Amino acid sequence: SQALKSLQVNLNLFRRLCIVKGIFPREPKKKVKGNHHTYYHVKDISFLQHEPLLEKFREIKTYQKKVQKAKAKKNEELARLLLTRQPTYKLDRLIRERYPTFIDALRDLDDCLTMVHLFAVLPASDRENLEVKRVHNCRRLSHEWQAYISRTHALRKVFVSVKGIYYQAELEGQKITWLTPHAIQQVFTTDVDFGVLLTFLEFYETLLAFTNFKLYHSLNVKYPPILDSRLEALAADLYALSRYIDASSRGMTVEAKADASSSSQSNDRAESELRLAQLQHQLPSSEPGALMHLVADKEVEEDEETRACKSLFKDLKFFLSREVPRESLLFVLPAFGGTVSWEGEGAPFKEDDESITHHIIDKPSAGHMYLSREYVQPQWIYDCVNARIILPTEKYLVGRIPPPHLSPFVDNEAEGYVPDYAETIKRLQAAARNDVLPLPGVGKEDLEDPQNLLYAGVMSRAEEAEAAKTKKKMAELEKQYHEELKKEVTGSAVDDVAAAPVVEGGDGEESSVPDAAQIAQDTADMPTLMMSRKKRKLYDAMKIGQKKKSESVERIKQRKKNLKADQ
Amino acid sequence: MTKKKSEAANEDQTRDTKKKSVSAVKSSQKEKPVLAKQVKSSKEEEDLLLDSATDSDYDGDSLSGSLNSDDFDSDVFDSEDDASQKETEGGDKDSSEDELELHGNEDSDDDDEGEQVDSENDEEDGSDEEREVAEESDSSEDEVAPRNTVGDVPLEWYKDEKHIGYDITGKKITKKEKQDKLDSFLANMDDSKNWRKIYDEYNDEEVELTKEESKLIRRMLKGEAPHADFDPYAPYVDWFKWDDAIHPLSSAPEPKRRFIPSKWEAKKVVKYVRAIRKGLIKFDKPEEEPNVYLLWGDDSASDQKSKHLTYIPPPKLKLPGHEESYNPSLEYIPTEEEKAAYELMYEEDRPKFIPKRFTSLRSIPAYENALKESFDRCLDLYLCPRVRKKRINIDPESLKPKLPSRKDLRPYPNSCYLEYKGHTGAVTSVSPDCSGQWIASGSADGSVRIWEVETGRCLKVWQFKEAVKCVAWNPLPDFPILAVAIGQDLVILNTELGTDEEQQKIEELLRLGTLPEQDEAVAAIVSWLPDETYGGIKIKHFKNISYVDWHPRGDYLSAVMSAGETRGVVIHQLSMHKTQRLPIKMRGLPVCTLFHPTHRGMFIIATKKNVRVFNLQKRELAIKKLETGLREISSMAIHPGGDNLIVGSKEGKMCWFDMDLSSKPYKTLKNHPKDITNVAFHRSYPLFASCSEDSTAYVFHGKVYSDLNENPLIVPLEILRGHSTSSNRGVLDCKFHPRQPWLFTAGADSVIKLYCH
Repeated sequence: SQALKSLQVNLNLFRRLCIVKGIFPREPKKKVKGNHHTYYHVKDISFLQHEPLLEKFREIKTYQKKVQKAKAKKNEELARLLLTRQPTYKLDRLIRERYPTFIDALRDLDDCLTMVHLFAVLPASDRENLEVKRVHNCRRLSHEWQAYISRTHALRKVFVSVKGIYYQAELEGQKITWLTPHAIQQVFTTDVDFGVLLTFLEFYETLLAFTNFKLYHSLNVKYPPILDSRLEALAADLYALSRYIDASSRGMTVEAKADASSSSQSNDRAESELRLAQLQHQLPSSEPGALMHLVADKEVEEDEETRACKSLFKDLKFFLSREVPRESLLFVLPAFGGTVSWEGEGAPFKEDDESITHHIIDKPSAGHMYLSREYVQPQWIYDCVNARIILPTEKYLVGRIPPPHLSPFVDNEAEGYVPDYAETIKRLQAAARNDVLPLPGVGKEDLEDPQNLLYAGVMSRAEEAEAAKTKKKMAELEKQYHEELKKEVTGSAVDDVAAAPVVEGGDGEESSVPDAAQIAQDTADMPTLMMSRKKRKLYDAMKIGQKKKSESVERIKQRKKNLKADQ
Repeated sequence: MTKKKSEAANEDQTRDTKKKSVSAVKSSQKEKPVLAKQVKSSKEEEDLLLDSATDSDYDGDSLSGSLNSDDFDSDVFDSEDDASQKETEGGDKDSSEDELELHGNEDSDDDDEGEQVDSENDEEDGSDEEREVAEESDSSEDEVAPRNTVGDVPLEWYKDEKHIGYDITGKKITKKEKQDKLDSFLANMDDSKNWRKIYDEYNDEEVELTKEESKLIRRMLKGEAPHADFDPYAPYVDWFKWDDAIHPLSSAPEPKRRFIPSKWEAKKVVKYVRAIRKGLIKFDKPEEEPNVYLLWGDDSASDQKSKHLTYIPPPKLKLPGHEESYNPSLEYIPTEEEKAAYELMYEEDRPKFIPKRFTSLRSIPAYENALKESFDRCLDLYLCPRVRKKRINIDPESLKPKLPSRKDLRPYPNSCYLEYKGHTGAVTSVSPDCSGQWIASGSADGSVRIWEVETGRCLKVWQFKEAVKCVAWNPLPDFPILAVAIGQDLVILNTELGTDEEQQKIEELLRLGTLPEQDEAVAAIVSWLPDETYGGIKIKHFKNISYVDWHPRGDYLSAVMSAGETRGVVIHQLSMHKTQRLPIKMRGLPVCTLFHPTHRGMFIIATKKNVRVFNLQKRELAIKKLETGLREISSMAIHPGGDNLIVGSKEGKMCWFDMDLSSKPYKTLKNHPKDITNVAFHRSYPLFASCSEDSTAYVFHGKVYSDLNENPLIVPLEILRGHSTSSNRGVLDCKFHPRQPWLFTAGADSVIKLYCH
């Protein structure tokens, strides 16, 4: 409240400023006012004080009052006139200020992307002050982003969770993870303050727009991509141009295509027809040939991982059934070098195309089956992407329950528990390397070679570690056993017993015998007595953490055992 | 030719007039609401008719009329005609009236009817006429063009011409021949229909009224409506809605300002015009700047350091694990029982996410908490203080300090060797004899026993009525006597263990002869009495004794009672059978006392919070005060060297004081979860121990170096368990064997244990 007073703003405005300026409370060394207060840094507040946006907000406020006044006086005309000339503000300077370099912006892009993707699927609502325009903007931005990632093959990992689909891309060394909700109508919850969300969204939209601009600029593509649904003539122009313009413009058309195609799924929207119409004009430009061109003239400086990603689905042609999540797959498959078509209008090739190798289907049974292609469930693609190999399709065939979908973000060794299927995949990976290795010749494979070796190394090391662990455990058990034996032997001779640290007195009079574990525990705890309080607390906390982890692993193992017993 | 024309003209005229009258009728019908006007017009016509009527009655009059007055009638009709084709403006009206007048003056001769109306009336009539014309001008039937096309010009212009004007084809219309006045009069007289004829000067022809027309005129003269079927008294229809009019209609005339352009508006317009000319008002919208541009153009500028505080990037969200998959392995899904167990948990402990399994991608529903989670993340981002925290990624075991190996620190007591059983109540206190051969114990059942240490044989038993609080063996080897605190009494017992010589000495000592004079104040507190039952000395105090301690010389012993100031601690001198109070006032209730092992006069008293060191010989204030920082001190022991002190507290903490070093504890160990009941130092080995209500005893290695610069070394050695808890009490006392590294512990389970190395 002190801050509010010194800034002379109300709480709402203060919060808004904090959000767009990225100012957060700090943890002071000494909490003068007590524990239940929020402390902002004085410098932060004075930083806010000199913010031109503050002045702008005040201006807007007074302007609003004018409008209010006009309305109250029933002067509709004036109110309307005033409303058309409202002062606006821009956030670009703030973005520059918060993220002085592009890398900084990329680093903080996670939340931004997640939010924009979420709002792209929200229904517009008057009550929450969420306009259709913003939803569309979010949609456009997210498609632009996806188009870029897909075009540069920067996508690394995909994970389908209950919450949505997680994607991880790597741009300029930054790992960017974002979550897109499933393409199902989202519901509004009441316990959410939309004002805050929208303020965040406002900032994020601007940030993402600038980021996209920069990214497209780096590809020499004009931003925003001209694929305005209303300008059909322009789209035709694009198509005409695409034949002979250099790579940059070709990139552009592909972008356009990707965008248009992904947006074509918004069937519920009225303008989708227009887009579809426009799509028809554009599609010929996105023939496989164009894609191949793109791949061919791609720069040489790509790192190996990108290369690997790019060539994963290189010679495969996919066809998506109507019921599979098209948006996601249209993003993922081209990102890994695949060629895609789908059931519906504007598809680049039809279902009866002979060259289709994989048909993605999510139904219990397929109707008409072509023998020349494999019918797989969409999970196969995600698993292939995460494993970076083409997995065998038997388990993913139509009508079967696919094997468990595992998170690519988990380090199984650190977790202490490796699911069965992860091991299967690992084995398959190793096998794939071996298959690939003997093949002579192609430069790509040569490049992959060290990587393979690396993988193998990792594998062997992991196995080794495991083996060592088991060995150690065995040794421990053995030792314990020996000790117990020794105890029994030396139990009667009291004086000799003193030699061993872990010994129990074997006196006849003694009734309560402290067990060995107790004593071992005591000896282990002994040094903790001598620790300072701070260290002891830290130690305890760490112990608790370890215990929790091991408990959860134990629980999972127990469940597995039970399941096996049931079967 | 001309005749023909004139005939035709005549016809025309008759038709015209007919039409006119009809239209007049129509107009009167049409304009019922405008009653006043109607009346006026009818009045005017009435005049006309009146004239014609008089004409018809007799001619002389009409003659005179035609002679003396100007005949207006035709003029009137004419002008009416004209006006019907033209407009109704005031200026015109005036001019036509003028013209009429002129006309009248000129054509005095050529009249058939010769009517007369005063010229005053004329003007009125004219104006009325005009109005009527204005009214009826909307009827299209009147629009038949007149024969003459000269328009509204004064007819006098054509006075001298042969023609009266031009017809529609542009040919001249010649004037009719002027008849002789006499002839015309005669003709008129002959013609029976003459009274119905009217001369139209404008077209220069005569018009004959039909019967119907004359009837019409007659009715009008009577003041009736021109048409017979018109009902002037039709019921009144009130068209005005009175529903919501609270005020009567104003009869005030419309103000003028409503009809003239506003001055202020004009001024405003001028202002706007000027503003536009100056460029203050712009009509075209400002050019929209591009929304996005290359924000991070060159990263060279970014090298400059930001002036602001360091930016702490927000922590990234936790990445999802296997269990969040839509199709996790089966072992990640909790069973039904586990889910039920989650329901019983506290809100905070409950796992946030319960894994679910969907067999296909299409069956995944929308995640209902998506918005909520996004919102929570937003809240975290802008409301949570961000701090950079260093995460220690180390093995917790590495935090433990390296201790010297316990093997090197041997011998120390680590296992139970003997148990001394015999007491029926909790053993509250033990005390080994200085030779190490015997051990005395006091119990809550009121018995004091002496045991042989090596064999565990109970040598002697004394039974008292009250619970024994504390036993203490005299530190002198040749005086095997025992001080026992029982309730308010301090009993000195002869153990009868020594040789005969010693026995003699003891008996002498314990014989209460003539007691020396005591201070009055002391006498009020303490009284020395012989003990009848066991033949010792009983020193009766005024309060319950909680602690007894011998001076190392064996002559003095101190007793602690829960009383303040100087009365809480008394010091008895056995050889003199004398008692002293503490010479110094003391704050707080004393808990236990100690005689300094090396320095004779030093006396250490522990109150609940602090430890004070006094010099009894100098009788001055406390020379040292040790701040323990503990909540409640329960026990205290001093290193045989005399410089180090350990203090046990009821919160389970033990403090080691280096008295030379500081008044603050050198080390505080929190080893027991429950109250520490006693702490003890070994007399010769570098060992000390603590025992607690949690029925454990700790043995520590506590080495004090002779080099003052070196800190004492404290190493925990062993946790001694074995006692069982009874009535919430564990180990009540512990003492070291004076020679061997053995520890005696007295448990509330009425067992004394000996721990050996």
